[in-house]
Amino acid sequence: MAFAWKAAGLTYNRYLAIAARVVRRSLKEGPRLQAERRGEMDLRFAKWQNGKQGENKSLGAANADAMAELATQEAK
Amino acid sequence: MSALRLSRAALRARTAAALKPIQRRGYAEAVSDKIKLSLALPHQAIYHSQDVVQVNLPAESGEMGILAQHVPSIEQLKPGLVEIIEESGGNKQFFLSGGFAVVQPNSVLSINAVEGFPLEEFSEEAVKSQISEAQKIASGSGSEQDIAEAKIELEVIKPPLRGGVG
Repeated sequence: MAFAWKAAGLTYNRYLAIAARVVRRSLKEGPRLQAERRGEMDLRFAKWQNGKQGENKSLGAANADAMAELATQEAK
Repeated sequence: MSALRLSRAALRARTAAALKPIQRRGYAEAVSDKIKLSLALPHQAIYHSQDVVQVNLPAESGEMGILAQHVPSIEQLKPGLVEIIEESGGNKQFFLSGGFAVVQPNSVLSINAVEGFPLEEFSEEAVKSQISEAQKIASGSGSEQDIAEAKIELEVIKPPLRGGVG
């Protein structure tokens, strides 16, 4: 089966996260405020090279970049 | 003489058995027309192996209704409405954001999803504003990824929620 999200280079995990995000945002005020806290992720990482710490990056943003790169590679 | 008495006793026993209707319906059989449903989200269990009559699922392979004694199977779920018909006859509807349903042998059904809420908890305005926002991004000139994500959002929110809420 060909899925639209797969064709766009997204992972299933990312697809689920997007679907969950849009569902959370569509809720009424009360449950929405509670639910939206679950969608937040603030994980950061840095690559160490030659004994030095590299740039501090957000994992979510790095993931998105990697997926976009993968999609353009596959399109070629 | 004693043999005669014995046969008479046997005859009496047989007629008594014939008069009484044979009761086949036991407890185990009466229970087996229910499914044990577990509907679990990462942060909450909405159903915890509760007996229900029927569950309608929006599977990737099509809409399907699960009754007791269903063939074991694993189904990927589309974001959509899950309808649960409970023992009391009432039915409940939950909107799930997509996940998996596993039909296990002996009428056990487990549904896993990331987010799931009863329909009443959705706001019509929020849905509408989400749709218009996603449409703007999808037809705009953002990155390929943004457009793909907006298209997924539209797909998730559009047909089922618009039908259900507004």
